[in-house]
Amino acid sequence: MPVSDGAVACSVTPIIPQSDPFRLDGQVAVVMAAIQDLEKTLSAEQRKSLERPFVRDSAIRWSNLPVGITPRMGLRLGDLDEKQNHAARGVAAAALSACGLELLDEIRIADDVLKAVDERKIGWDAGNYFMSVLGTPSESKPWMLQIGGHHLAYNFTFNGGREGATPLFFGTEPIRFSAAGIEYEPLVAQSAAMSNLAQALAKQPAAKLSGTFTDVVKGVVVIPVPGKMPTGGTDTGFPMSFPTGNSDRGILYGALSPAEQALARAAIESYASLPGAAITSPLVAAYESSAALAETYIGYAGQPDLGARGSYVRIDGPRIWMEFVVQPAVADNTRLHYHALWRDKQSDYGGEIGH
Amino acid sequence: MNSRAAWLLALLCVARCGPALAHSAPNSFVKLSFLAQSVRAEVLVPESELAYATAAERASEPFAAYLLRHLAAETPQGAAWKVDVRSFSHTTYLEHAYLSAQVEFTPPTGASSGAFVLIDDAVTHEVRNHVVIVLMNGAANPEFLGALQYPTRRLTVQRPSPHRSTTEAAQRAGGDDSVAGVAPLPIASRSSMSSTK
Repeated sequence: MPVSDGAVACSVTPIIPQSDPFRLDGQVAVVMAAIQDLEKTLSAEQRKSLERPFVRDSAIRWSNLPVGITPRMGLRLGDLDEKQNHAARGVAAAALSACGLELLDEIRIADDVLKAVDERKIGWDAGNYFMSVLGTPSESKPWMLQIGGHHLAYNFTFNGGREGATPLFFGTEPIRFSAAGIEYEPLVAQSAAMSNLAQALAKQPAAKLSGTFTDVVKGVVVIPVPGKMPTGGTDTGFPMSFPTGNSDRGILYGALSPAEQALARAAIESYASLPGAAITSPLVAAYESSAALAETYIGYAGQPDLGARGSYVRIDGPRIWMEFVVQPAVADNTRLHYHALWRDKQSDYGGEIGH
Repeated sequence: MNSRAAWLLALLCVARCGPALAHSAPNSFVKLSFLAQSVRAEVLVPESELAYATAAERASEPFAAYLLRHLAAETPQGAAWKVDVRSFSHTTYLEHAYLSAQVEFTPPTGASSGAFVLIDDAVTHEVRNHVVIVLMNGAANPEFLGALQYPTRRLTVQRPSPHRSTTEAAQRAGGDDSVAGVAPLPIASRSSMSSTK
């Protein structure tokens, strides 16, 4: 969000109940209507790019790599004319919260900033963000909406066997930048929420995770091909295994003070407030139930203020898996950049995608 | 740019975009070649991630000795295979620096070389996001066999079916000396599991 908007609005915005008639973000009928409006503006070839089969290979094609390294599929937003772009934005606005839409906008702007800093032709470009509809939009049968590019992957599954907000990857490089006279810090809500949490827990030895973190733990996997570009770079490793037991997972939510517990919930909501309320509310209710919180761990490594490479914070519960990591920047390696990932151990891809 | 253009951009990147892969921290690769009596492996370990692992252990021994403490094989029943590190060198892949070790795994007398448990935590014992990607070498494109990530350090590997064997794949590709050649003498060996973490 623009820095002038101030701190962490997305992290403290309460999740709007699904029953609120004034907030329709993410409701399947609203998203379907927006897709229909978009399709009316598209050529046959563009519709073919937008509409893809709801199969594993399509679903897992998201990444944190630039599109020049891991090409995406779908309708390229940079190719749209003004009317089409307006309609595509309508789809995003229907599926996302205001925070989620703002994040999409600002991460795209960050890519344009990188384009000016790093002239290698690897795909830094706000235009290199894509939209796909996997399967046939329906009010009853499973289908997916994907919106993403270099540093963003929204993967929303509607009518799946389980709730479908994840996998949700987001990141930014630069962390903070200026464009057209406006200061931006796209992940300020999430970085502030996670660092507030880590700093509050830093005095508790049980919260400290062992080991070193140079990226998110459950992200994309690159498969090497000697002499060529690697393959993969997508969610090749899905479905994944997650830590079990109570060793080296951090400190239990129940061991925190009420103020620390509030910081933990704020951190959860800073991620969960990105999709539309209809998509995300059931998941937040599940994550913040007393039973789930009783089995939720919070851990950190590196600097709790997230001021150095290797700083890492994680929320790890029966379903929830939220990570935040600080890495060296790539276009300008004297700086840092962020990666963040939200997975659900039970309902990534709405529970509709297997091996 | 449509998806075709994106793929063309990807091809252009083969030579020019390596550093951008720093967006994904480099992983280890173990590329296996199945021989009649043994399994040969090229083990690539990214130096940047290895540095975290050796620093955590305050390890100062030569790389081959370090590798032998963290790399092993055993039969599915738990009998140790002999492990020889025959050579190692420095190499780069998409501008990440790697240590590349040529390793030979030999099953104990009477045991088949067709199935074994690969054990590797050279980096994963410290770097939590690190993944060891296990591939079958020799074909035009290596085949993905599995992956290891903390805390998992063991992967059961089966010899591929004959029609997909490494040797045949190499022959189809015009031969592969690393499969058919005579291996040099080892520079470091271990014949039991006892020293492996």
